[in-house]
Amino acid sequence: MARYLLRRLAQVAVVVALVATIAFILIHLAPGDPFGAAMDNPNVTDAVRAQWRAAYGLDRPLPQQFASYLGSVARGDLGWSFSLQRPVIDVLRDALPNTLLLMSIALAASFSLGIALAIAQASRAGSVTDRVLGGISLFFFSVPEFWLALMIVVLLAYRFPIFPIGGMVDSVMHSSLTSWGKFIDVARHTVLPAATLTLLFSAVVARYQRAALLDVLPAEYVRTARAKGVPERSIVRRHALRNALLPVITLFGLAFPALLTGAVFVEKVFAWPGMGLVIVNSIESRDYPLLMASVIIGSVLVAAGSLLADLLYRVADPRIRDDR
Amino acid sequence: MRQTPPLAALLLIALGCTGEDRSSSSTADSARGGTVVISVGGDPDGLFPPILSTTTGKAVSDQTYDHLADLGSDLNTVGDGGFTPRLAKSWRWSSDSLSIEFQLDPRARWHDGRPVRASDVVFTYALYKDPTTASPTAPLIASIDSVTAPDSLTVVFWFGKRSPIQFFEATIPMVIIPEHALKGIRGQALRTSDIARKPMGSGRFRFVSWTPGSSIEVAADSANYHGRPRIDRVIWTIAPDPKTVFTRLIGGEADVLEQVPMGDLPQLAAHPELRPVLLQGLDYNFVAFNLRDPRNRARPHPLFGDRALRRALTMAVDRGRTVQSVYDTLAAVALGPTVRAYPTTDTTLKQIPYSLDDALRLLDSLGWRVSGADSIRQRNGRRLEFTLSVPGVSRSRMNMAVILQDQLKRAGAKVNIDRLEIASFVDLENRRAFDAVFHGWHVEASPGGIRQTWGASGTKSGGSNHGSYSNPEFDAAADSALSAMDLPTRRAHFKRAYQMIIDDAPAIWMAEPKTMMAINRRIRTPALRPDAWWSSIGEWWIPSTERIARDRVGPPR
Repeated sequence: MARYLLRRLAQVAVVVALVATIAFILIHLAPGDPFGAAMDNPNVTDAVRAQWRAAYGLDRPLPQQFASYLGSVARGDLGWSFSLQRPVIDVLRDALPNTLLLMSIALAASFSLGIALAIAQASRAGSVTDRVLGGISLFFFSVPEFWLALMIVVLLAYRFPIFPIGGMVDSVMHSSLTSWGKFIDVARHTVLPAATLTLLFSAVVARYQRAALLDVLPAEYVRTARAKGVPERSIVRRHALRNALLPVITLFGLAFPALLTGAVFVEKVFAWPGMGLVIVNSIESRDYPLLMASVIIGSVLVAAGSLLADLLYRVADPRIRDDR
Repeated sequence: MRQTPPLAALLLIALGCTGEDRSSSSTADSARGGTVVISVGGDPDGLFPPILSTTTGKAVSDQTYDHLADLGSDLNTVGDGGFTPRLAKSWRWSSDSLSIEFQLDPRARWHDGRPVRASDVVFTYALYKDPTTASPTAPLIASIDSVTAPDSLTVVFWFGKRSPIQFFEATIPMVIIPEHALKGIRGQALRTSDIARKPMGSGRFRFVSWTPGSSIEVAADSANYHGRPRIDRVIWTIAPDPKTVFTRLIGGEADVLEQVPMGDLPQLAAHPELRPVLLQGLDYNFVAFNLRDPRNRARPHPLFGDRALRRALTMAVDRGRTVQSVYDTLAAVALGPTVRAYPTTDTTLKQIPYSLDDALRLLDSLGWRVSGADSIRQRNGRRLEFTLSVPGVSRSRMNMAVILQDQLKRAGAKVNIDRLEIASFVDLENRRAFDAVFHGWHVEASPGGIRQTWGASGTKSGGSNHGSYSNPEFDAAADSALSAMDLPTRRAHFKRAYQMIIDDAPAIWMAEPKTMMAINRRIRTPALRPDAWWSSIGEWWIPSTERIARDRVGPPR
């Protein structure tokens, strides 16, 4: 197991390094400049631009910039954000935990909800319940993230102001609240963005899990269990579900990139100060160091998700353990 | 293409969209307190005054730091008549007008309690001018030769030559920065210094916190030498999505929105608790023709190098109808490369009139004939076809571009619209790699920027005259205007310069948008300055009977 883990970690490192190199080249190939907006200011003279470029090392040849960047990263320095005028590491330190909080809540909730929905559907396959739940999950499977986020804001934050419109805390009242009050404040602000991601992803989980359950339910061991008089509820939960979980574990690995992509839209609409916003802002402002760091973090998250899924797979399926 | 029913905007204006709230006098309720929450679309680019360029950054900076003097709402930048004392309690001109001596207010204190001294002003000037600071404000103070401090409360600004806006240059572009907090720090280290993110000035509000992507807070400085502000706290609440920014306002989570999107005006009218405030804008937008060939800049542009063709295309565009369709009553047709807010702008400038018939006749006489089946004119095998690049972030410019495309098609010109994201758009402009661009300028409180944007000095690579318009007579008239010492002469020279550029048609001058702000009615304001509505926040107040829960939180301890 330890050797396997080391091998996989080495693979992750290679993938991340490749992604970083390709991203660096593509980012610099794109038209535009980190000082694009400032360049639109008629007072920004040639001399000022040249000074800015020199200050950030952008006047050097691209290979030199890349070598210097790699050197800095190796020393643990991710650079200076041009657009936010602060160290990139500080930006990530603020944003990453917020996104991970949102993603982990959404991940846990969407798998729980998705699997529950799939059980409800598969155990009554073809019934009205199955069709209604299938229709609902198809709806959430199909709608664009930003549209759903906006609808939720309009409904639950504006028309019926049950939850706050956006942000992670109440910027006016938060500092004056007690510790418990602050916890509740963050929890209230988390509900809508987490619910949006959950609704979107639980639909995916439900569809996969339902199909997997329907594949397993006609199996011989299930029929045997039925013949032995095991209650249907127990058959689905104890016998069929464990075997039907394997495709969903694969989905777990795919959930990371999907949730990160979803977070980009959801964070924008809900003004959630996380990685999604950092990524969008760094692209718009051509903030090379911040964008590079975001790409690296994103690829690490995706690779980590994939690794975690593989490990879970090994736990769930003994045959795979034997193979490696 | 219409975004707003005309009645909505008319109704808003009929409601009395002035900057000043006259419903209650400031003396009627003198109690202090309350919180103003401003909904904004993004973080500032830092809070270090010499390098910041975002509106939010400037708004926060102007609360925490002080100018030597403040500009009045009529934006009269000639002489010192339009200014009021701030950090300087008085000033005196030398007999030859080549220097101005400011007396600092001895009561002024930095927020750490130290007194503000003349050496701070000398330090500030040196910092803004230092090439390693790379301040975009440096060109605005270029005419100042030096700043000296004869004593701790006296500071003298020296100029190489007389200019009508000497006083403006000495007072408005710079805010005064504490020497003791930054001494010995230069260049890149300034940007990374503690004060660059946690400003410590002498302004009426103290900096409290900045949570990136979330909020910025400042609180009333109770010991301020100009008196404690009437408001306890000002909070900028940040949301990157325009819909969320607006929803926070109408949902009651914010009190102020700097610019209400056109499409949301009808919704604003449905919220009587919100007061629309219409401010004279400092923006104008235009379709700039590239006068040089993008493939070989030594040659004139194959189409737009011809002045008569530019005039014909201008004639074919019904600017009045286009602007009205897109902005309703919230913009006027641009007069030229200027704005009506300037006291130097003459509104009687003679425009190239809209006349499709005249445009068609002129194009015929220039040899541009319709020959193909698609009704597009041609001359010597070249089609009258060009690409108009538009920044995708500007919905109003995109909408105008589509109308313009239709109008020019009737004249036999084919316009291909190229919608670009902003960084690519700016890159295209800076490389001069375009036929025509739909650009907009936000101008300073003083019209000095005309040299850089339309003068010959801005045509070189990296300059801001992207279309490369160059006319020595225009430059001379603009220079005369900018050096004229009295308003009537200044106005006359500007009129000559503007008329020249209008006649040369290097651009189709499209719209001069106004700013439609929205402020919650419980907040009372004095008149708001068009170039810096936030400048009077210290004087905003909330009657005690109209305060809500967040107003009672009070300033942080």
